[in-house]
Amino acid sequence: MTTNDNAPALRIAGLHKAYGRPAVDGLDLLVRRGELYALLGPNGAGKTTTLRMVSGLVAPDAGRIEVLGIDLAQAPLDAKRCLAYLPDDPMLYGKLKPFEYLEFVAGLWGVGAREAEERARSLLDWLDLSQHAHELTEGFSRGMKQKLALAGALIHDPELLILDEPLTGLDAAAARQVKDLLLSHVAKGGTVILTTHILEVAERLAQRIGIIRQGRLIAEGTLAELRKQTSGASLEDVFLQLTAQP
Amino acid sequence: MMNTPGSIGWLLRHEIRLAWYKLGSGKSKTPRRPGAGGLATVGLAWLALHGVAFFIVARTGGIDGADPRVLVAVSALLYGCMTFMLSTALHTSVLVLFERGDLDLLLSSPLSSRSIFTVRLGAVVVGTAALYLFFLTPFAHAGAVLGHVRWLAVYPVLLGCATLIACAAMLLTLGLVRVLGARKTRVVAQVIGALAGALLFILVQVFNYYAGSHEAQALQAFTQAFSSSGVLGAASPLWLPGRALLGEPLPVAVLVLLAGAAFALTAGRTHRFFVHGLQQAASSSRAAPRPVGALRHRFGASLFDTIVRKEWRLIRRDPHLISQVALQLIYLLPIFLLVFSDGDIQYPAVTAGMTLLCASLTASLAWIVVSAEDAPDLLTMAPASSAMIRFAKLAAGAMPALAIAFFPLAWLVVRDPLAGLLACFTVSGATCTAAVIVHWCGKPATRSDFAARGKSDTLTSVMEGANSLAWGGLAFCMSTIAGGSYTDSYLVGAAFSAMGSAVVLGMAWLLRRPRP
Repeated sequence: MTTNDNAPALRIAGLHKAYGRPAVDGLDLLVRRGELYALLGPNGAGKTTTLRMVSGLVAPDAGRIEVLGIDLAQAPLDAKRCLAYLPDDPMLYGKLKPFEYLEFVAGLWGVGAREAEERARSLLDWLDLSQHAHELTEGFSRGMKQKLALAGALIHDPELLILDEPLTGLDAAAARQVKDLLLSHVAKGGTVILTTHILEVAERLAQRIGIIRQGRLIAEGTLAELRKQTSGASLEDVFLQLTAQP
Repeated sequence: MMNTPGSIGWLLRHEIRLAWYKLGSGKSKTPRRPGAGGLATVGLAWLALHGVAFFIVARTGGIDGADPRVLVAVSALLYGCMTFMLSTALHTSVLVLFERGDLDLLLSSPLSSRSIFTVRLGAVVVGTAALYLFFLTPFAHAGAVLGHVRWLAVYPVLLGCATLIACAAMLLTLGLVRVLGARKTRVVAQVIGALAGALLFILVQVFNYYAGSHEAQALQAFTQAFSSSGVLGAASPLWLPGRALLGEPLPVAVLVLLAGAAFALTAGRTHRFFVHGLQQAASSSRAAPRPVGALRHRFGASLFDTIVRKEWRLIRRDPHLISQVALQLIYLLPIFLLVFSDGDIQYPAVTAGMTLLCASLTASLAWIVVSAEDAPDLLTMAPASSAMIRFAKLAAGAMPALAIAFFPLAWLVVRDPLAGLLACFTVSGATCTAAVIVHWCGKPATRSDFAARGKSDTLTSVMEGANSLAWGGLAFCMSTIAGGSYTDSYLVGAAFSAMGSAVVLGMAWLLRRPRP
């Protein structure tokens, strides 16, 4: 199955998931192609559950998810082929070296040998990990692990990149590298959806912002549009006003 | 003064509280106090042991400490306990060094390293002695009530032995860190610990094997050694611990003094060494020497190859895990002594031994690659056939056992085709079913849980064990029948073993876990 060029990067309709109590409660969301979309919300709002459902890690109780026009429930492998998900806790193997990790991820996504090797070299160079290529990842710092996991997410050049708290634990230099990489991905026509608790990141990077509370989308738009909806001057003001408990 | 913050007494209280919570937490990671039910069960079990002890001591009327045979038996019991104590103490010493818990907090505080080390060493002593105190003190209490007050010496003797062994184990572990480095120490200490634990079993099996063919000579040598003029006569210092356990005051005093001196010297002289060991252990995963030559990698391999290579790399680079897997097989070694007994090759023993070995090895490796997957989400997210991923993982777990068995099986087929083909059948069957059982029923876990997987996933471990035994039994019976020793009992044994294997497989299928 091929992607539909006119379809949005992600379309979510009536998504439900409950773990005893609702975690995601009738969520509707649309992310256009080529945009960087920030999904914000307080702890326990349902952001991670939503992203895990989009990545095929958690089955929804109800609702529909389309990735680049492909129904995730109907053709999960085709949908997964176009996306990459980076959770807040990097999915790495401590006893593998960076190239070996990328070789493994490229194998899972069926990337051709030449393309995979070129991309692996270029990503490790970009993220300053080449000089650590001979080391096992178990000795890496949190930032290095996060960067390697990001390289793994990008090895198959996904059209849709989903990141859960990608900047947690990164130092300023590493955070800058990651932000540049995300902007570069969007500049090349890719789509990025990220969650973050660092509101400045969303404010500076995101073209549109969605705010989720108790599993529902309560506000969405550009920063200017969100400001209009509230009396807040900054995204922090907007966020705190919108997510304040009634 | 004992509980002044920062003192040894204060730290000891903290350790006891942590141990208390750990006791209550069990398999859960949430710390909590032991429940009343659990404590009551342990208390009742201890009381019941007292009942058993009173019955036995009252019936036998105690034991005569002056009888040399009693002295030898009591000493042998104590030495047997000491081999297990050494195993426990080495394991605990490695944990103290490598599983740091709150050590970073303690070492960054103004507490002296001597206090910290003293308390940790004390914890190793208590951990080493606890099990033996639990089982042996009821007999001492029964003896004391029934007029053998000296039996209360079991307390100082067990604690003294545990102290000596804990000090030796800690010094050995720290010495290994100094000589071999932290990485290798973990593996080597574990190997020594497992060998110590299995020593008694292996020695008994080896003795049985040799005594079987040279019974008269063995008996004569033993009688000579244990005679009053022999090396192991009643006056030998070798029986000092036994004399102490029987309550002779001088041996008890000597043992307690030795233990006290060993503890004081170890705690007082090696606490800096302990800190050095901790620092080595903490940096062990970071020190990676740059290899000579270019890195080798192979992009573009098939999904099967990619997964198998990744699994084998992860196992190959974890010597700690490899040693744990290999040590599980130590107990199978005596089986192979049977192979060449009486100068002939015992095909049933060879076939059964190889079948058991392959089933056990595959179950362990399958657990590592299937249950202890480090990044299950990555595999779930991948646009790859989950059936192919599972197949590749099971193949990665089964292939090493089959590779190990390949040459012996080929040799067997050439030498005796029928016995060889039977062995091929039972080895392949046992290997495949072992992998499938883990695949169906294994609980997700981390690699560090390998040694404790029997406790955390008891049912699967029992099914793995039953599967190995059933296939081993089938191999033995079929091979015996094929060798011409046809009797009804072997036929019935083969039928029961085959049924057992089928029942285990059926149970595993019924109890299989839902996949994500």
